[in-house]
Amino acid sequence: MQQFFERYWVFGGTCLLFALVTLRLIIRERVTLQGTLAFLLLLFGMGLASLFPQADAWIATRMGFTLVSNWFFALCIAALSFLHLLALISISRVELRSIALTQELALLQEKLERALPAVGERP
Amino acid sequence: MPVRRVLAVIPSHNEEEALPAVIASLREAAARLPWELEAVVVDDGSTDSTASRALSLGVRVVRLCRNLGIGGAMQVGLRMAHRGGFDCAVQVDGDGQHPPGELARLVARLEQDPAPDLVVGSRFRERAGFRSTPMRRLGIRWFSLLLRALCRLRVTDPTSGFRVYGPRALALFDRSFPYDYPEPEALVLAQLSGLRIVEEPVAMLERQGGRSSIRGVLSSSYYVLKVTVAMVLAVGRARLRED
Repeated sequence: MQQFFERYWVFGGTCLLFALVTLRLIIRERVTLQGTLAFLLLLFGMGLASLFPQADAWIATRMGFTLVSNWFFALCIAALSFLHLLALISISRVELRSIALTQELALLQEKLERALPAVGERP
Repeated sequence: MPVRRVLAVIPSHNEEEALPAVIASLREAAARLPWELEAVVVDDGSTDSTASRALSLGVRVVRLCRNLGIGGAMQVGLRMAHRGGFDCAVQVDGDGQHPPGELARLVARLEQDPAPDLVVGSRFRERAGFRSTPMRRLGIRWFSLLLRALCRLRVTDPTSGFRVYGPRALALFDRSFPYDYPEPEALVLAQLSGLRIVEEPVAMLERQGGRSSIRGVLSSSYYVLKVTVAMVLAVGRARLRED
């Protein structure tokens, strides 16, 4: 175990820092927990995979990969694509809501501006 | 017979230069029309004084707090016409490309029997006025062919925004209107929703101010690709709804 820490402390430290930054963003509500949950689950899964290399090798062989690194490579591409798709869905939903709100706001504002002088509330 | 109420929707983005002339000619045209014509400028998040210029000219102004593009701006106008009980709405671009003098021809088509739901002003039915550059005409021809193939609609000028929307079209586009480069896709939606679409020859002008968002090879290619995909997807979406 000591050898493991000696070899991977830079990589482990970077991962830890990344996790802390993400947690800080969630706590300060810069990103929502709901939106980050898939990302956190993925990180947790990758963390588990790095702790149990034998299990990774077993899964890679079962999935038909000769090298475990190829399996990880494919897994990372799939995971990033999935996360990107989730982000796209979320951004599109927000964009459509924003358009609808902008339109309704503009219509209400126009109605209000026309109504106020009529009732003498505005000079 | 009650007087027909027409709402002229003027979507504008940074059109402070061209707007006074557009509104002046719209007023001139309105005086000759047998209908009650009201104009509304939809200020699409302009960074210049488009909104204040329009207000000083005494027309209704709807200000969008951010730029939504022509589709988002146009939908606001159509929604306003639908909710305000107007008989029809006409799109008159704020850049001065749509001469209001041609309005009478377009709106008069709504009075024929059976009444169409959407009248598209076409630059290509008669050889008159500004007819765009050869490259753009090629793109227009492509969209025209695509419309024919996708939904059996014969339209010579599918990118024309000079259109009159009847009550059924207003109801449809109040609910759903394409946001980005909407003209050809809106025709697909209208055709697949069973609306009656006709074309009327009109003469258009060159843009009187501002600049087009579609310029250069890259943006033109993106426009053609985006609209083509959107039209195909619109057909697919309509088929899914039917099922």
